Amino acid sequence: MLNYTIRRLMFTIPVLLFISFIIFLLLDLAPNDPTGNLPMTIPPEVREKIRESLGLGQPIHVRYFKWCVQFFVNEPLNIIDQMFGTCTWGCEDRLRVQSWATRSPVVDLIVERMPQTLWVVGMSYVVGILIAIPIGVISAYRQYSWFDQAGTFVSMVGFSVPTFFTGVLMIVIFSVMIPTDSWFWFPSIYDTTHKVTDLASFGFQIRQMAMPVFVLALYNAAQISRFMRASMLDNLNQDYVRTARAKGMRERVVLLVHVLRNSLIPVVTVIALGVPQVFGGAIITEQVFKVNGLGQLLIIGIQGADIPLVQTLTFIFAVLIVLFNLIADILYGILDPRIRYD
Amino acid sequence: MKLKTALLGAATAVALSGVTAQAERGADGHLNIIYWQAASILNPFLSGGTKDTEASSMVIEPLARYDEQGNMLPWLVDEIPTVANGGISEDLTTITWKLTPGIKWSDGSDFTAADVVFTGEYCMHPEGGCQQESKFAGVKNVEALDDLTVKITFDGPKPFPYAPFVGVESPIIQAAQFANCLGADAPNCTEANFGPHGTGPFRVTEFKANDVISYEANPHYRDPAKPAFATATFKGGGDAAAAARSVLETGEFDYAWNLQIDPTILTQMAGAGKGTVVSSFGTSVERLMVNLSNPDAALGDKRSTLEGGPHPFLTDPIVRTALSKAIDRALVSEVGYGAAGKPTCNVLPAPAIYASTANDACLGQDIAGANAMLEGAGWVKGADGIRAKDGVRLSILYQTSTNAVRQDTQALLKQWWSEIGVETELKNVDAGVFFGGDQSSPDTYQKLFADIEMYTNNFAGTDPEAYMGNWVCDEIPMPSNNWLGSNMPRYCDPAYDALAAKMGQTSALEERAELAKAMNDMLMQAGAMIPLVHRGDVSAHSNTLNGVKMNSWDSELWNVADWTRAD
Amino acid sequence: MLDATPRKLVEVRDLKMHFPIYAGILRKRVGEVKAVDGVSFDIFAGETLGLVGESGCGKSTCGRAILRLYDITDGSVKIDGAEIGDTPQGGLRKMRPTMQMVFQDPQASLNPRMTVEAIIGEPLMEHTDLSRDKRRDRVHELMDAVGLNRTFSNRYPHEFSGGQRQRIGIARALALNPKFIVCDEPIAALDVSIQAQVVNLLEDLQEKFDLTYLFISHDLSMVRHIADRVAVMYLGKVVELSPREALYAEPLHPYTKALLSAVPEPDPDMTTEDRVILQGDVPSPSNPPQGCNFCTRCPAVMDICHREDPEFREVQPGRFVACHHYNQTAGDTAASEDNKSIQQGETT
Repeated sequence: MLNYTIRRLMFTIPVLLFISFIIFLLLDLAPNDPTGNLPMTIPPEVREKIRESLGLGQPIHVRYFKWCVQFFVNEPLNIIDQMFGTCTWGCEDRLRVQSWATRSPVVDLIVERMPQTLWVVGMSYVVGILIAIPIGVISAYRQYSWFDQAGTFVSMVGFSVPTFFTGVLMIVIFSVMIPTDSWFWFPSIYDTTHKVTDLASFGFQIRQMAMPVFVLALYNAAQISRFMRASMLDNLNQDYVRTARAKGMRERVVLLVHVLRNSLIPVVTVIALGVPQVFGGAIITEQVFKVNGLGQLLIIGIQGADIPLVQTLTFIFAVLIVLFNLIADILYGILDPRIRYD
Repeated sequence: MKLKTALLGAATAVALSGVTAQAERGADGHLNIIYWQAASILNPFLSGGTKDTEASSMVIEPLARYDEQGNMLPWLVDEIPTVANGGISEDLTTITWKLTPGIKWSDGSDFTAADVVFTGEYCMHPEGGCQQESKFAGVKNVEALDDLTVKITFDGPKPFPYAPFVGVESPIIQAAQFANCLGADAPNCTEANFGPHGTGPFRVTEFKANDVISYEANPHYRDPAKPAFATATFKGGGDAAAAARSVLETGEFDYAWNLQIDPTILTQMAGAGKGTVVSSFGTSVERLMVNLSNPDAALGDKRSTLEGGPHPFLTDPIVRTALSKAIDRALVSEVGYGAAGKPTCNVLPAPAIYASTANDACLGQDIAGANAMLEGAGWVKGADGIRAKDGVRLSILYQTSTNAVRQDTQALLKQWWSEIGVETELKNVDAGVFFGGDQSSPDTYQKLFADIEMYTNNFAGTDPEAYMGNWVCDEIPMPSNNWLGSNMPRYCDPAYDALAAKMGQTSALEERAELAKAMNDMLMQAGAMIPLVHRGDVSAHSNTLNGVKMNSWDSELWNVADWTRAD
Repeated sequence: MLDATPRKLVEVRDLKMHFPIYAGILRKRVGEVKAVDGVSFDIFAGETLGLVGESGCGKSTCGRAILRLYDITDGSVKIDGAEIGDTPQGGLRKMRPTMQMVFQDPQASLNPRMTVEAIIGEPLMEHTDLSRDKRRDRVHELMDAVGLNRTFSNRYPHEFSGGQRQRIGIARALALNPKFIVCDEPIAALDVSIQAQVVNLLEDLQEKFDLTYLFISHDLSMVRHIADRVAVMYLGKVVELSPREALYAEPLHPYTKALLSAVPEPDPDMTTEDRVILQGDVPSPSNPPQGCNFCTRCPAVMDICHREDPEFREVQPGRFVACHHYNQTAGDTAASEDNKSIQQGETT
């Protein structure tokens, strides 16, 4: 397994380099202009100077090489320096990946966005999973019961109704229609400056997370519960389940130990594959509730043609996707003794 | 209000509400502002985006700025220099500003002429990529005569020398803080760019790029009684509708900027009674640019250039006038812009002293008249109902950016024009591409590979000289200047160029106004542009917020120091 | 079998197992598959009852229904004197140790995520209060008993060969000292070379642990080898039940005859002229024919067969058959060749 992991990791290096180059090319070919969003009162010759100062005048391979050096060498060195308070060679004038719009290091922006994305999107993923698994198990065990039918309906709704609709619906109900001083009132705008220091502020944090988490959790749960149900149904009809019943095991043991554990194998890998999406943020939901996490950062970057930001963020997502694919494969190997990697 | 402040996580002590002392700094607690486009940076020289310049206007200030009427106000100086008071030299080449003594930066140090000189140097540095460089056009030298006197020398007579250091886009930054950020180093000063020291009523406590800014009252602000708010939040993200909702419906925020949404929705939201919609009219005009050159694709590289020859039918003034007459501008304005628009017949509709009334006849729609004009000029309807003359059919390709309101307008115009026998093909281009200026794209607004295009343009500040200069012959976009130019109609009239040149040598305000009006009327009567709607800015503020004076000539937050909480 | 009748360990009476069929948008019940439709027999302690029949005749369903792995539609099943036909699953759980099952597919019937030790030890954990170590000892004992190397106890099922997996299945079934084991085609999925080993193992274990088997198989020669008595099923019903020797020497029911004549004869000199080839397909169990279930394919069919379902009754001591030919009222109407040969066979 270790050899397998190392081999796979080695393979990912050329893959990721290739991906980074493709992203770079795509962004370069895309018709966007970092000065495009500036007011039209700024004259064209000033725009040209701005583009020059951003380094857009250089040929593409030079710009790609610069980005590679900045991202693969300078940024890791900077992290090391920050962790140990050291100053490895050239820390004074080391060029980091700079966002064009904010003129600040992209990695710092990403680090700043991480908490709210993980809090909201990550929590919604966890909540979604926690809701989805019992629903999937019961739906499969009581196939075609009213519970199953209701679960199917809710999943269909969760799947098909977009989050910008459910999100705005929630805001209209819980932020607009309910009076502000009611206990049922929830803030429609996420306060990213809020700091949890005591019980009351923790309570507020829960309140401001409630709506975005619910909206996203519904969506996540819809997907995962379908997976869970299908996987459970596959396993419920297996012979070993009959064996377990013939052994005289309690139904709970049959269901939770025998069927659930086997059914979770594919579901766990699906969950692992979905984790990069958590880091990617939920672009729409973040916009609706003004969570301003990584998804919103990416969108602003795209809108403003902030190419270094988009490049870096997209590449980090690519790394996460490749990494979690590997993790999913390894998890599969760990969970299913029939799978062996050598 | 008490509960809301607490729920919103205000850092302020709640106990302050209820205290009515108007003349006490920080007495009114917390101010929540939402700009749905989040601020990226607080250095307006590195970002010309409105969101960024407005966010920074709470912190850094210019020497003089404009009030809500478009009048210039001395801000960090005692009076506006003029030729009359000796502030401007007789030959119009220098202007001397005298700073108000006693102003301090938010770090407690003194505000001096050296800071002003440094700011000039900062933006005029050739490698800095300063986005407000045009403000310093023609500036030869900025020098400090003493600690409180700054003299700007221009390389020629400057009849309107109020561009540098005036208005929201040209504020003063602190020399000490930005000393190491000149030229190519400018982008690397993240800390300074995110938290500039300023002379304004607030200072930055936390800056989260593209997300939220936290401010607190500047303890060194020149008026000890202001600002009334102890802290402020400048939140970004979401969209205009959500921002409007947060002020008008949920009451979570006190001020929301730039609410370009469906006017009926805005009215409906305002019905909740929590806030007020406010609008003001600057210089933005939604207009049709009429291509006077030939956009025929068969011309290849000469397409839409002067070399390509004149347009087959849009060079006929009768056709252009008829197209304008067929439009019901009031309806376009009402449908698309509501409170944020009013019909106009001028490309220069404001400030009031520059607004011409010579063209107001266009306000009324006259389809019959337009038909009669075309008929009289020999444009007769063919079997398909489209007018033609000498084998030239009146068939128009009409392009604009992708935007619901613009597409509605396109549909209306197409209908009216069909009633006068003009065929219209509609096209919309993604705004990023349309305004993007990408040389390789055929769909940019500069290339104008169409017969007519529609967009809004405006000018900052109150002086129209540069704006009216957009339509001189030299400004025509063409391959040789990389299509960089703002004379989209390819309008070229030596008489107009002469007026523009004359304005550049005239200093007296009244004369300048006459010249501007004359130029506007020339353009309108030539039909090079067909103005449609004078667009205003729409914002909303909570009913608990007093002192908001919507301003289209400067930052909307220009008088944030005077804002107070109503009880 | 006249006197000193051995103790009846299992008594099955009129067992019915019908599976409902749903169809349409609203999943209305439109019919039922009569997989087992009124089966009665006894199994004596210590014997092996073979249950044979074509694929789909309901053998496996019958085996599972007897162990109440299904909730049966009707009938009674008594095991070791206890009626389990109507006991709810919860109450049944405690009785599971006496009755166990060895499944057909050793691969699918073992939980792929459990080690051999866990598979064999799990019922011990549920039904006994042995300590961890004792449990492991017991698992090892059982592995020895079925001929598995006890060092393999931490391996997973997929690491074993088919024969070894079936040994695991058997060890698992033996763990709780059952009295009665249903072997549901335990050798069907195995190589021929392994089949004999497993059958021999089952026989050895029967002797050693005093087990009673219901041995379900479609392999007549294997049943002949292992069973004491044989029951033949056709379309959800037992058509004949006889001691092994008698059945193979002299089948009574026309279906049994057909089945036996289809068994490959290793001796080429043996005459094959009386081979009975059945025509047509087995009718659908959701829509069995009226009268005798076999009437659509029977070479010796009579009018009455289309009308009345023959009674399953003892026609000779220890021999039961369900056929109108052996009813007093039936003999006079039919006169086919086949019928004659059957009549002759009966009197010989």
